[in-house]
Amino acid sequence: MHVGDAFRRLVPPGSWVLFLFFLAGIWLAISPFAMTTQPSGTHWITPTINNVAIGAIIMVVSLLGILGYMLFALRDLIREAQAKQDIERQAIELPANQ
Amino acid sequence: MLTTRLTLGKYTCGMVASLIIFLAGGWLILAPFALGYQPYGADWTTQTVNDFATGIPVAVVALASFALFFISLIGSLRAGGILVSRPRPQPQAPVEYQPHVTAPLASVTSQSDLDKTLATLAAALAADLTARRQAGGDQQSDQQVEQMMNRREA
Repeated sequence: MHVGDAFRRLVPPGSWVLFLFFLAGIWLAISPFAMTTQPSGTHWITPTINNVAIGAIIMVVSLLGILGYMLFALRDLIREAQAKQDIERQAIELPANQ
Repeated sequence: MLTTRLTLGKYTCGMVASLIIFLAGGWLILAPFALGYQPYGADWTTQTVNDFATGIPVAVVALASFALFFISLIGSLRAGGILVSRPRPQPQAPVEYQPHVTAPLASVTSQSDLDKTLATLAAALAADLTARRQAGGDQQSDQQVEQMMNRREA
C-alpha cells in the first residue's frame, strides 16, 4: 500500500469536516473577545460563557472524533499488514514442508 | 488464511462526534432566546447574530459530516458482505408478438400421455371382459352338459 492510500484511509472526507468544526470551535471561543462584546475587566457575561463553553465542546469533540477515527483506522491497517505477513510466511513454509 | 475483521468503531466515532456537534449547533441557534440575552422584539444583538451565523453552518455541516461517515459505514458493510445491494430491476423490452411454440409441444406431450393411459385402461378392460366371458362360457357349457345328461337319463 502506498503512503497516499494509507493517508486517505486514515483521514477520510468526514475528518476534514471535523477539522472545520475544530476551527469553528476556536472562533466561537474567542468571538466574544474578538468582537468586544465582552467588556474587559469585568466578569464574563452570559453570552460569553455560552460561546466559550460551546466552542470548547465543539473543539474537544471534533478533535476526539478525528483522533478516534485515526486510531481505529490505524489499528485496521496494522491488522491487515499482519494478516498479509502471515499469508506470505505460510506460502513460504508450505513448499518447504512438501 | 486471510481473515478481514470488520471494525465499525471508526465510523461510529465520527458519527457520534458529528451528532454532538449538530446538537451544539442547534443550541447555538436557540441560546440567545433560551438564555434571554436577546431582548424580545428588539433588533438582534451582535451576540445573537454571531451565534446564528456560526450555529446554522455548524448544524448543516454536521449533518453533512454525519452523512459522509454513514455512507462510509454502508460502503464498509457492503465490502464486508454484510449488506447486499438489491439487484436493480432491469428495464423490460417492449413485448413483441411471438408465436407460442411451447404450447403445442406441451399439448402433444400431454396427449401422448393420455393416449398411453387410455390404451392401458382399454387393455385392462379387454382382459377383464375376456376373463368374464371365458368364465361365463364355462358355466354355460357346464349347464348344457348337465341338461344333456338329464335328458339322456330321462
